[in-house]
Amino acid sequence: MKTNTEADVRSDTAIRVMAIFFAAIMFLAFTTDPIRTGTNEGDRAPPLTGMAYNGSVWTNFDINDYFDTNWTAGDLDGQWLLVDFMDTDCPFCIRSAEEVGQNADYFMKLQGDWQGPIVNFVASATELDIPGHETSRAEIEAFRDKSGEESCAGNSCATRDGSSHGFVYIDDIDQDNMKAWKVPGTPSYFLIQPDGIVAWVSSENTDEEVSDAIFRLTMGA
Amino acid sequence: MVDQNVILIAYIMPVVFGVLMMTKAGDAVATSLTGRYPLLIHARRRHMLGLNIVAFTGFVVSTHTLWITNKISEGGNICSSATVFSCDDVLGNAQYNVDPFFGISWGLIGMVVFAALLFITNAVGKEPDALWAESYLRYGMYMTAAGLPVIALLVSYEVRMEKICQFCTMAHIANVVGLFGFWKAGRMHDEGGWNDDVPESSTSNTSTS
Repeated sequence: MKTNTEADVRSDTAIRVMAIFFAAIMFLAFTTDPIRTGTNEGDRAPPLTGMAYNGSVWTNFDINDYFDTNWTAGDLDGQWLLVDFMDTDCPFCIRSAEEVGQNADYFMKLQGDWQGPIVNFVASATELDIPGHETSRAEIEAFRDKSGEESCAGNSCATRDGSSHGFVYIDDIDQDNMKAWKVPGTPSYFLIQPDGIVAWVSSENTDEEVSDAIFRLTMGA
Repeated sequence: MVDQNVILIAYIMPVVFGVLMMTKAGDAVATSLTGRYPLLIHARRRHMLGLNIVAFTGFVVSTHTLWITNKISEGGNICSSATVFSCDDVLGNAQYNVDPFFGISWGLIGMVVFAALLFITNAVGKEPDALWAESYLRYGMYMTAAGLPVIALLVSYEVRMEKICQFCTMAHIANVVGLFGFWKAGRMHDEGGWNDDVPESSTSNTSTS
């Protein structure tokens, strides 16, 4: 026979289940300190993957290979990472290519006497949705190496300013990485700590040059 | 740190026990336990006990997946592996570890859902003859059935990543077992197996002895 017992049991049960839920949330709060994944300063850098050109071949690239989760601030052995989002047909990217190349050579300790930690450079080459910005892997190779017959923003890629670059270029023609990183435009730069935390973003620091940010953050860390 | 596979076994055991309690296969187990827990002689009580255990296991395993997600975000390695079973790769993937609409962690969603199921199973278990009990069982079945397309989505993520998260799979199994449990409870309700009457065989045994 069905009886109308209404609220009593349900109230007791609801309180009990809420207590269990609250206990679980407290456990999570006391034992973990989650870091948001994103591209703001202080966030954990999102995934950055794809095929990358290193000057001779295209190989798999995974940003996680660069990170050391045990790194602590002040440890000069940890290697930082500068991610450059660019488009081989973007005039601003072409104009800044020389400076980017010089910074890369200096902070990657390929040239000069940089005393701070190594800062690896990585470029993620995308294709912006703008007429005339059609690109290809051949064009990315030409931009990086300053070679070939490809055209970058109407001129030969081989004639861009500066020397050939000594860092890898990721194929992001499908814009997957650019969208995941919410890149507002090119060129955009992200300085990542050795433990994978975003330390500096060019769009949030428009008054500061990349090299100044590296000096300030890597030597002060 | 405790081996994550040992923890996984600790989750599998209660789910298996829950399934046993809800099926004919568990009758023998239940009978052996009736000496200590006489109420288990009733099929409905056994069934609700099994359903409660499965819902609680689902809640705990969901909490565990959220804990792993948080730990990975801190930079820790909890269960990474070069093999296909690597929950770090799945739970640590920022693109897939949250729901696509509100960005809420799947672990937290699992906690909320299993807490709701736990409320239903507990409440119905305590007041099986209440007017609302039948409706609640139906709600439980709808909730767990709604979980199936979500499970399909999450499995599609795993296929895309070519990695399997063992703990997530455990939560998925708990949801499927829960669906079976609510469906069967509804049938027991409809077919008159829902009351506390002592089974005929037991009655005859008692009178014989």
